[in-house]
This record gives sequence, C-alpha cells and structure tokens, in this order.
Amino acid sequence: MKRATILAIVLPLLVTVAKADDLVSGLSQDQIQITSNYTGSDLVVFGAIEAPDNDASPAKRDVVVVVRGPDATMAVRRKSRIAGIWINNREVTLSGMPAYYFVASSQPLAKIAAAPVLQRYQIGLENVAPQSSSTHKISTTEQFRSAVVRERQRGHLFSEAPAGVEFLSYSLFRVHVPVPADAPRGQYTAEVYLFRDGQVISAQSTPLFVDQIGLERNLFNYAHNQPLFYGLAAVLIAVLMGWISSLLFRQT
Amino acid sequence: MEIYLPIAEMSVHWLIILGMGGAVGFLSGMFGVGGGFLLTPLLIFYGIPSEVAVATTASHITASSMAGALAHWRRRSIDFTMAGVLLGGGLLGTAFGVWLFGILRAAGQSEIVVSVGYVILLGTIGGLMLNESLRTLHATRTGQPLPSATQKHHNWIHGLPLKMRFRQSRLYISVLPPAILGLFIGVLSGLLGVGGGFVLVPVMIYLLRVPTSVVVGTSLVQILCVAAATTVLQAVNNYNVDIMLAAVLIAGGVIGAQFGVSMAARLRGEQLRLLLAILVLMVGVRLLFGLVVTPDDPYSVAIAGQ
Repeated sequence: MKRATILAIVLPLLVTVAKADDLVSGLSQDQIQITSNYTGSDLVVFGAIEAPDNDASPAKRDVVVVVRGPDATMAVRRKSRIAGIWINNREVTLSGMPAYYFVASSQPLAKIAAAPVLQRYQIGLENVAPQSSSTHKISTTEQFRSAVVRERQRGHLFSEAPAGVEFLSYSLFRVHVPVPADAPRGQYTAEVYLFRDGQVISAQSTPLFVDQIGLERNLFNYAHNQPLFYGLAAVLIAVLMGWISSLLFRQT
Repeated sequence: MEIYLPIAEMSVHWLIILGMGGAVGFLSGMFGVGGGFLLTPLLIFYGIPSEVAVATTASHITASSMAGALAHWRRRSIDFTMAGVLLGGGLLGTAFGVWLFGILRAAGQSEIVVSVGYVILLGTIGGLMLNESLRTLHATRTGQPLPSATQKHHNWIHGLPLKMRFRQSRLYISVLPPAILGLFIGVLSGLLGVGGGFVLVPVMIYLLRVPTSVVVGTSLVQILCVAAATTVLQAVNNYNVDIMLAAVLIAGGVIGAQFGVSMAARLRGEQLRLLLAILVLMVGVRLLFGLVVTPDDPYSVAIAGQ
C-alpha cells in the first residue's frame, strides 16, 4: 500500500498549501451492486473547485479523476512458437496491479503535467504499475505490465477518457465512470486531482465498493466454498434432465 | 437475454448457448455419439475458457448418456459385468486425468494440452472414419463385399491372464483389456472432457469382440459414470464446472437429439459416417489453425485467487 502512504503524507500537505484553490468532490453512489441483469452502469464523480473570486483564468486549472479497482495478483504469460505451435513459455507474476482502472481528464494528460508527476500519482495507463514483480529486470516487467494494460483494455476494465471531465460551469465538473458487468468485486477508490501549472495542488480520495450479488454470485460462492456438494448438484441436475428427457421422448 | 455465467465469469446470450447444445444434441442423435468431442471445441471457439469448457462438457455428457443408458436398460442390452470392469479402470483414469489437469492449469499449460489433445484425437478418429466410410461407399458401388472385421478369430487378447466370464457378452476373456481401455477413457474424460464413446465402441467391437447388440448400452453406462465422476472431481479440484452453462446446454441438447434421431432415419449409415468424419476433421483443422497461426497478442493474463 505504498500509494496510500504517499497520499496520506501528501494530502494533509496539499490541504494546507492549496488554500488558494480548494477541491470538493463526491460520488453518485458509494456502492455498486452488480446483479444478473446488470448491463454496465455509469458511476458519476462530481465536484467543485472553490476558488477565490479574484483567481486566474480557468484554463490554467485541470482536473483528473482516477477510479481504480481492487489490487490483484496476476500471472501474465507469454506464448512463443515452439515446434510450430504457440505455447506459453514465460510467466511473470505481477502483484498489486489494480484489476480495474479508469482515468478521465479535462484535457490530454500530456498537456496537464510532465511525465514524472503523472508517474508519481500513477495517472494514465502507462503509469499503472504493480507493487512487485517476480522478475527483477525492469524492461521485462514493463513488457508484461503493458500486456496487462492491453488485456484489460480489451475487456473494457482499463480505459482512458482524455476529455472525460465535463465542466458544467466555471467551477463545477462531472465525470461519467463506466463500470462493466464483469468488474471484479472489492474496494475501489475514486481519486480526484486538481492540477495547476503542471503540479497537483489538491487531491481527494473516496472509497467505493463494488459487489456482485444475486443468484450468479451465490453459485460462484457455493462452487468455491462447497465444491463437493456443488459438483454433486451439477451431476444431479444432469441426471434428472437426462431422465426427464427420456420420459418425455419415450415414444419417439 | 444475456445471462451471466458465474464460473466462466462472462456474459453470454442464452439462445446461442441453447443453440449450441441443440446443434451438438442433433449431431449426437443423428450419429449416435455423445458429442462431447464437438461440444468442447465449440465452446472454446465461442470464447468460453477452455478449462470451463472441458469440465462443463462432462456434465452435458452425463445428461445425454443418462437418457441413452435408460433406453438401453429398458431393452436389457447392457452387460453390467463388463461395464463394472470398464468402470474400475475408468474411475482410476478419471482421477488421474483431473489431477493432471489441475497441475497443467497451475502451470498455464492446460489450454495447449486441451487443444493439442483434441487435434490428435479428432485427426485420428476423423481420418479413420473417413477412410472406413469411403471404402464402404466404394464397396457398395462396385458390389464387392468387404471382409468382415468381427469374425470370431482368436487374437492376442485371448492369451492374457485373469480371465473372467462376461455372460451377457458371451465372452470369456481377461479383465485386463477392458480395465485398461476404461482407464484410458477415464484419462481422456478428465483431461479433455470427452465421453470417449467414439474410442470405446470400436475397440469393444473389433478388439474385445463384444456383440454389437450390447456394445452401445454397456459403453453408455461407462460413459455416464465416468462423466459424472469427472464433473464432481473437476468441481472439487479445479472449481470449473459452470452449472448455469451446463443447464442451458443440456436443455438444448435433449431437444436437438430428438430431431437428430428422426433425421438419421432418413439417411444411410455410410453417408452418415462420411458426414461425421468430415465434420470431425473440420473441427480438428480449425483447432490446429488456432495453435499454428500467430496470435493477436502473445500475452495472456490470469488473475490469481480471485
């Protein structure tokens, strides 16, 4: 939880430093329940910048919103062609990678701040980093890390919205955060950063829970907690359906 | 309507799954095969993770072989002694196959073993069937009779020890060949999710010389029990049986099988076998293509301990 520590240290400092511009933000809901008929919902992160009346033009200020999901340990495998067929032959384990990551900004990230600043706060898909890697080689870790980003992007679990922060007025903003149906359950955080002249001058972090509920989730839990009874139930269903069908179609 | 498969962890349209079960059921009704060897590749092509496809197909086979076994039981065309010996080996093989599958999965190699296994299996079976059905077609066209393969010759099987009497099959042979055959089928079932009827039936007819009248019923009992054991063992060891997926597949399968049976009545045997051989080879080629062609992204991600 290195990042949390950084935030814990930085946040109080920011609050005192950032008296000129202050940030207030909130979420439309602090809990998302994914049910069987869930088709992906929009979480809304909204907020306001409280600035003194005599403040400079709004163009200098930028808002970045990051929503990141539960940290996971990922086994990333690479296929190579061996004897003509593609076989997994290299595996790197990355731990502490978020399973979900979304970033929205008021303009493209590169225009908001320099790379080292974005890197420090893990803002942007190229800056989402694992806490640890099973390999010590930095270039290898990077290859496998970017493979995770690609894979998650394909599943819509990682995404970037370079113009996703909508300003409703001079100080009021809103971000639609897409949460797909297969978003993993667990604790998420919604982080709102206020940038000025390429530096973070204010930040806020709000926890958010995603839970899978309903029949499907219960089946998943049952399969993992009572695997023997689950397996026997699967056989029982199959045998019953087979038996019923043989009764129904006996004549034919 | 989309349904969420809790174990495969993906949303699918239930009609597509029902249709897939129906298509496989139709083919199994038409050709008199279990259809597991077609269902697993079909599910993989659709995007179901191969480990879930293998385990869930086992429960589909449980249902279809149950219906078949009941029909044969009513006709009393089951050799229970033979089925018991086959099962002795079968259950041992299943346990070994499922255990091996778990190890391969942890090493990230289950997918490749399933694909390569299917390519070999489908290539061999499809090739043999194609050859046999073409020869039969040729023979009927030229009017030359084929030499019968089921003539009562003594072969090496009769020299083996541990002989036992199989009353219903009117055989007095060693228990070793059926037990080893069962073992092999069990491993196949645990590893690839197939019922194994397409191996079991020809070996029983041509090698063990079991009378054709009891072969199908007896093999169905073995397939039923091995598939049921595979389902339970996969659920316990690998948590990869998707009940939701299985239920929809089975529902489609039992309906499709009825249409398949009535369709089979309208086609000739060797034509049916030729069609099946072509189908089997096509699925094998498609799987081989997936192994050989350069993937879009050579990397894959598995989340541990979710």
